[in-house]
Amino acid sequence: MKLSTMAALVGITFSALMGIAQANDPSKLNDLQIAHVAYTADNIDIRYAHLALAISSNPRIHEFAKTMIRDHTLVNQKALALLKKLNASPQDNFLSRQLTKNSKVLVDEMSKLRGAAFDKRYAGNELAYHKAVNGLVANAFIPNIENAEVKALFKTGLKIFKAHEKHAEMMVKRLK
Amino acid sequence: MRRRLFLVETAAVLAAVVSLPRSLGAANSMRPAVDHIINIADFVFNPANPKVRVGDRVTWINKDIVPHTATAKDRSWDTGALAPNQRHTITVKAGMTQSYFCHYHPSMIANLDLD
Repeated sequence: MKLSTMAALVGITFSALMGIAQANDPSKLNDLQIAHVAYTADNIDIRYAHLALAISSNPRIHEFAKTMIRDHTLVNQKALALLKKLNASPQDNFLSRQLTKNSKVLVDEMSKLRGAAFDKRYAGNELAYHKAVNGLVANAFIPNIENAEVKALFKTGLKIFKAHEKHAEMMVKRLK
Repeated sequence: MRRRLFLVETAAVLAAVVSLPRSLGAANSMRPAVDHIINIADFVFNPANPKVRVGDRVTWINKDIVPHTATAKDRSWDTGALAPNQRHTITVKAGMTQSYFCHYHPSMIANLDLD
C-alpha cells in the first residue's frame, strides 16, 4: 500500500473516531464506559484476527493474527478481573456501539477479499486501527480515567498496543 | 662462556615476555561463568546489550502480562514462549548468534555482546 493511501486510511479511521467525538465526546466517558470501549475494541481486533486466520495463507499474517488473539484476550482477562475486584461492570455507550457498527462493515468487506488483496487490507487496517485506538487511549482515556488501577491497566495496555502498531507497520512494509 | 650465559638469560626473558599474554588469556578464560539476568518489561529487553562470554548463563524473565520469546535472529536458539513471570536460561556458546528478537513482537530487538 502506498504511503499516501495509508495516510488517507489512517485519516479516515481517525476522522471516523473524531467524528463520533464531535457528537459525543470520548473524553467525557466515565471509567466503566471507557472499560467497555476497550473491551469492545479488543474483541473487534480478535474478530479481525480470526478472519485473517481463516482467509490468509501468509505465515506472517498468521503469526500476527495469533499474537493479536493472544495479547488482546489476556488484556481483556486482566480488565474483567479488575472490574470484578472493583465490583463493577463495564457500561455500554455510543463509542462502543459505533466501533462495533464500523467493524461489521469492515468484516463484510474483508470477507470478500482473497490472497494478497486480503493480506494488504488486513495489515493496512491493523495499522490504522491501532493508530486510531492508541491515539484515543493516550489522549482521551488515560488523562480522564479516575481510578488508579484502571488507569495503570490502560497504561500497560497502551504499551502493548503500541508494539502491535509497530508490528503492523513492519507487516505493511513487507507486503508492499 | 659468559656470552653463552647471556644468550640463555636473554632467551629465558624473551620466552617469559612472549608467554605473558597467553598466561593472562588463560587466566581470563578460566574466570568463573557469570549469570546474567535480562528482564522483559514494558516490551523492552533490559539490559539490551549485555557483555557476555562463552560459558556464561543468560536468563530472561518475562515481567509483562503477555508472553514473549527471546529468539535468535537466525532462529538458531530460542527460549520458547515465556508466560508472565516465567524464565528461561541459555548457556552462551562460541559463535552463537548474538542478535535476537521477540517472535511474537518483532519490534522488540536486542543483542548479546559476545566478548
